[in-house]
Amino acid sequence: MKNEPIDKTNKNLLKELEELRFQLNEANETIEAIRTGQIDALVVQGEEGHQLYTLKTADHAYRMFIEKMAEGAVTISTQGLVLYCNTQFANMVQHSISEIIGTPFESFIAAENRAEYEVLFEKCWKNDCKGEVWLLAGEHKTPVQLSLATLELLEGVSLSIILTDLTTQKRTQQQLLESNIQLEEINRALETSNHDLQQFASIASHDLQEPLRKIQMFTSIMQDKSDRLPHDAKKHLQKINDAAARMKTLIIDVLTYSKLSANNLQLECTNINEIINELKEDFELIIEEKNAQINVAELPYLKVNKGQIRQVFQNIISNALKFAKAGVPPVIEITSRRIAEKCFESPGQQDGPFCLLSIRDNGIGFNDKYVHRIFSLFERLNTKDNYEGTGIGLAIAKKIVEKHNGMITALSKEGRGTEFQIILPMN
Amino acid sequence: MLKTRILLAEDDLDDQEFFSDFMQDRDDVILMPIVENGESVIQLLDSIVNTDELPHIIVLDQNMPKMNGLQTLQHLKNSERYARIPVCIYSTYTDETLIKNGSALGACVVLSKPFSKEGYDQMIDTLCKACGSSKMTTTKHNR
Repeated sequence: MKNEPIDKTNKNLLKELEELRFQLNEANETIEAIRTGQIDALVVQGEEGHQLYTLKTADHAYRMFIEKMAEGAVTISTQGLVLYCNTQFANMVQHSISEIIGTPFESFIAAENRAEYEVLFEKCWKNDCKGEVWLLAGEHKTPVQLSLATLELLEGVSLSIILTDLTTQKRTQQQLLESNIQLEEINRALETSNHDLQQFASIASHDLQEPLRKIQMFTSIMQDKSDRLPHDAKKHLQKINDAAARMKTLIIDVLTYSKLSANNLQLECTNINEIINELKEDFELIIEEKNAQINVAELPYLKVNKGQIRQVFQNIISNALKFAKAGVPPVIEITSRRIAEKCFESPGQQDGPFCLLSIRDNGIGFNDKYVHRIFSLFERLNTKDNYEGTGIGLAIAKKIVEKHNGMITALSKEGRGTEFQIILPMN
Repeated sequence: MLKTRILLAEDDLDDQEFFSDFMQDRDDVILMPIVENGESVIQLLDSIVNTDELPHIIVLDQNMPKMNGLQTLQHLKNSERYARIPVCIYSTYTDETLIKNGSALGACVVLSKPFSKEGYDQMIDTLCKACGSSKMTTTKHNR
């Protein structure tokens, strides 16, 4: 009972399919007949009843299309005379269509391109081809692309050429070329100024150290004879020495910073634990003096510039030791974990492509609104009388980390210690 | 005790003074007449007829007019007569490049100029030590 309507629909559908197949066959046959020239008129049943289409009307549609298209179109005889052209071509050469028909096509090609055109004209009878020439347009010349294709018509073989105006394209190309040249020049200027700047920093630093060393030497000599000096003078000598020592550190730090701009990063597989162990030895005296503790978890091997990454840890650990709370032994915890993405909020991932290194201390900390400022050159949050340093250390650390395609940030609260976080790629 | 004979090439007058002043306090070293550049080093050495009177160590300032430290070093190492004399390069600012180039050309030590009297004492100790070890190698050669 239930199957009956379904059966009926199925039969209907099959019948419909049969009809459609018949129509499709008929249409295919008609198209084939038109293509091979077997018919010159056909009747199509449209919305307004039967309509007669002749080949003439079809031809008209093509002519309309050729007439309306944006390219110039010409048909040329084997002798090279123009048999037909569209309005666009007439506009391009600034002549009327009647003037054009019957003239040699060659006469519209700029003299310097005629030889080229002749080659194309020879070649095109065997193979369709393309070429670029200048087209004469009254007083002016227009760059065009010629697409040559031969047509075998009942009246014999003829050549049809489509002409595409290349003015805009050429202008764009020219502009591109010019801006490329400009870019190259700017690039070169930048490189030069970068190089100059590095040279300047290097020379300035070298030459600044010369007189500075003299100041230190002479004060050292005077301090040797200080038993003959009044107490005040001794104190002042010490101040001169301290200032000179500070300036020396500054110069070396500026030099280090400027050298980081050079593109000469040499990477090697580096054991980060080894770096920390070396630094612990370097800081041995101050660690003992402050009774500091540095706890290091197992850290990964990273493909980095060892010297530079050592500098990063050196600057951060030295900060942690320097900015300890009075009377509280510094405790520094260094840990690491693999993360999925290059961002500080990234979730952990055992085989993640990045490594987040954390250096946490229990020092004086800072207000976290200053977090971006601490990585700027010469930025200090504490007076230098209380805490020595040049204010370049963290700027150097940031630059190094960024040169390694990494990121650095700091989390802190006043009085609650600081945590530096560094993200570096695993390879 | 044989005193270590040091030849210093240094164009800076203050540095000449530091060097000679601090060396006067020691009885283990003798400073030969100070010369002002590399060319004068060669001239002075060439004028010494008796090989026994050549310096035990030559200290070259890197930044000198005419012939700088490294150039002089190269010249000395290419000479059969002087190649075995240990050479120290010293400079106000000693960077990795200078250490690398100096070592490559055969300097026995590359140093930064000292900042204090103690620094000079240490430097002269280092020089004497460098001489001592090279004297040993020389004797080995002779055997």
